[in-house]
Amino acid sequence: MYHRYHIQTSLAPEVAPFPNRTRVKVKKPGLAMHLLEELVRYRRNPEVALSRPCVYGVFSGPVGGFAPREHSCVGCLRCTIEHPEMVQVYPNPEHQRLGDSYFTPEHVDTVCYEARTGRIPVKGAGYRGPFGGTGWDGMWTDMSEIVRPTRDGIHGREFISTAVDIGQKPPFLSFNEQGVATGESARTLSIPIPVLFDVPPPSVLSSKFLQVVVAAAQAAETLVVLPVWVLKRFALQGQQIVPLVTPEDPNALTDLHFTPRMIELEGMNEALFREIRMRFAESTICLRHDRVSRQELLEHYHAGIRVFHLVANYHGLGRDGRFVLDLIREAHRAFVEAGCRDEVTLLGSGGIIAAEHVPKAIICGLDAIALDTPLLVALQAQFLGECLAREGSRFRLPRRLSVNWGVQRVENLLASWRDQLLEVLGAMGLRDVRRLRGEIGRAMFQKDLEREAFFGIEGYDR
Amino acid sequence: MTDRERTTEQLITEKHTELLRQGFHLWPELKEGKPPAMGDYRWTADLILSTWLQAETGMPPTNGLEYRVGNSAGGFDVLDFKFPPEDRWLSSNVAINLSIPLNRRPYDRHIVIPIPFYGAGMSFGSISEQVMCARAKAAQTWQTFTCTGEGGYPESLFPYKDHVITQVATGMFGVREETIQNAPIVEFKYAQGAKPGLGGHLLGDKVTATVATMRESVPWVSLFSPFPFHSVYSVEDHKKHVDWIKTINPEALVSVKVSTPTDIDMVAVGSYYAGAHILHIDGSYGGTGAAPEIAKKTIAMPIEFAIPKVHRYLLQEGIRDEVVVMASGGIRTAYDIAKAIALGADGAVLGTTELVAVGCTRCSNCERGRGCPFGLCTTDPELSQLVETDWGAERLSKLYRSFQRQLSDILRRLGLASIRDLVGRTDMLIYRGHKGAR
Repeated sequence: MYHRYHIQTSLAPEVAPFPNRTRVKVKKPGLAMHLLEELVRYRRNPEVALSRPCVYGVFSGPVGGFAPREHSCVGCLRCTIEHPEMVQVYPNPEHQRLGDSYFTPEHVDTVCYEARTGRIPVKGAGYRGPFGGTGWDGMWTDMSEIVRPTRDGIHGREFISTAVDIGQKPPFLSFNEQGVATGESARTLSIPIPVLFDVPPPSVLSSKFLQVVVAAAQAAETLVVLPVWVLKRFALQGQQIVPLVTPEDPNALTDLHFTPRMIELEGMNEALFREIRMRFAESTICLRHDRVSRQELLEHYHAGIRVFHLVANYHGLGRDGRFVLDLIREAHRAFVEAGCRDEVTLLGSGGIIAAEHVPKAIICGLDAIALDTPLLVALQAQFLGECLAREGSRFRLPRRLSVNWGVQRVENLLASWRDQLLEVLGAMGLRDVRRLRGEIGRAMFQKDLEREAFFGIEGYDR
Repeated sequence: MTDRERTTEQLITEKHTELLRQGFHLWPELKEGKPPAMGDYRWTADLILSTWLQAETGMPPTNGLEYRVGNSAGGFDVLDFKFPPEDRWLSSNVAINLSIPLNRRPYDRHIVIPIPFYGAGMSFGSISEQVMCARAKAAQTWQTFTCTGEGGYPESLFPYKDHVITQVATGMFGVREETIQNAPIVEFKYAQGAKPGLGGHLLGDKVTATVATMRESVPWVSLFSPFPFHSVYSVEDHKKHVDWIKTINPEALVSVKVSTPTDIDMVAVGSYYAGAHILHIDGSYGGTGAAPEIAKKTIAMPIEFAIPKVHRYLLQEGIRDEVVVMASGGIRTAYDIAKAIALGADGAVLGTTELVAVGCTRCSNCERGRGCPFGLCTTDPELSQLVETDWGAERLSKLYRSFQRQLSDILRRLGLASIRDLVGRTDMLIYRGHKGAR
């Protein structure tokens, strides 16, 4: 029976205090004086004297501006415009400490909003950020003036598929004289959203956290990668779980109590790969790989690997210091040039921290992404210092983390990111995310646009 | 009226209006410094305050406020003019011509505006009627234009109808025969920079009874303008649209507003062949109404890159002299206007700049609750009283005056007597490079 993919959203407010973007400082003697003056001026109408400049209720408490309700402040500045000498609104230093140098406070804000509401962040008054920049910021996506996948409305009857296939696909089909398919057939698993959950850092591993990610993966019909030792210690199983096996523990899968849809190998070990392939003939095997070199990737391909999980650190940097965007493009190009791109699946994680990064990563060549730090931020995890490598990064989850709340937050995040992916696909006139993969012509890079636009202008020498 | 005769609501409005106006005057004087939470990379606190100052004085600031560029580390912010030595400047006796034609074809009505910019489409509903009228009044004063946006044509705009562009967009809200007949220029909005490829969305909170009547819809229910035009699949379909308009109003000029995809050059040529007089390209970083953040930041290219692409392609095709290219989407200052023209546009279309002039702090809360706390992007009956039409028109006029002065000054220093001579003169620009947004 046809089942239209849908992620159920529901409001899930923060359980731990979340610092407001701004703080409000009021000079109390000045306010007292001002009130007195106004009470005299509007003595016949105290309502006028007591009317406050904030429409969001910052000064609507019992004592008004003497105890501003900062959490209601949206930074509109009307109070400080009306009373320059008395009220000051300034950026909250506590808010500016959110995240780290890559996962900036603005990113944290956005992810928390998405996890809280499940909605697409909408704001007025144009774009506020830097013009472009390095990495994802130096890339824009295309749109069409008149093409649309269908004309039935993006959130109505119009259907844009976000499903992706992970696994092994033959380069072509073979048939015998009777027209019966022979030879190798595709062995893929499909997930309805091109987002998996990556291995969490050790600092957050707890029973409750694991219950959240496993249940959320099940609810969203996606996959979560977890080390085998974690599965055993916390007695976790399910079709949504992808066990991560390291070559140092070749016997890890011996007493696994379920047949996973996918197994991830940390680093290539041909003997282990062959053994797993033999024992779990039905499972898709994925190689987790933190280096991108054309030669190595093709060697692994020739050894039988068909699913690659390219891993950068949490700031999107590969082992050679290159950004994940370049690594993905190189890996994708390596397989395209070798004529086997359609036979393999590329997954990627690291540095993908905003909804916009998903279509961009897919355009660069990924089939799907694996979420890492955004999951933690959705659960209000606090960054303890700079978080780069998974093993060394430290995060603190809120004490009041509950499974139901956590699952809803993750579902909300996924729903918001999927809706944003639909917006990008719809703007391009695409009705299937699989058609976006490697479609570099759908991207515009700052360095190319700038060269084209500014070539010949004095001082421009790129 | 005395205080006794006024209602409480009137007194409250008057009190806050007075305080706000004092604030718009005081902050640019910098006696209290700059508001610490004001501004962003594109619109710095300096740009906002300097726009307020220009809207009050009609002059560019002289107190050190940066009024020419923002801090985005790209686009207009890394371009500057390569002014020749002073002995090659034009003397102050030489009259500088800032006028541009809005029809460069040999046929149809010829309209010339005395300044190389006009106001962008902002619909009734997304902004208040008072702000709409203030913009129209300023346009009338300066013999230029403003645009209805897609939200209908309030009767209060009728006195300014010769300076109002009627927008026809995908939802066809408020599009009626008489509003087409009223219009000297009709603008087809195929896409807009703030939400390229996504259509429009007026949140239910803003659809008051008046707005609903104007748009022939139901109060308090969100309104979507679908994307794209359901009747257009080709240049020929677009031509059909133009023909409809010409049938109803043969005198009208036709503008086509499009966003900035990779093939914007082809779109430009298609629009020309469909009969457009004005090609209005709207870059991705602008926009005044509420839009998904992902759309503003990610979809379509910034206007700085689209202008030269379109200009050069139209030149190659041999049709540049027959079409007017207007640019919008993040044009904030007189210097941005001049740079857009040097990159290849004929003129610019201003949206956010006008709102900043009448008090916008770019807090981005246009869509929240009752709407803009400054009474600009709101249909709330109380909040919208904070802006009076005459006050708003006066401020916009002063801003235009300041821009006129600066544009004349730029041309004089470049040794050019006409803004038309600046079109496509990238040799007069200098690239200052990326220093990184601070």
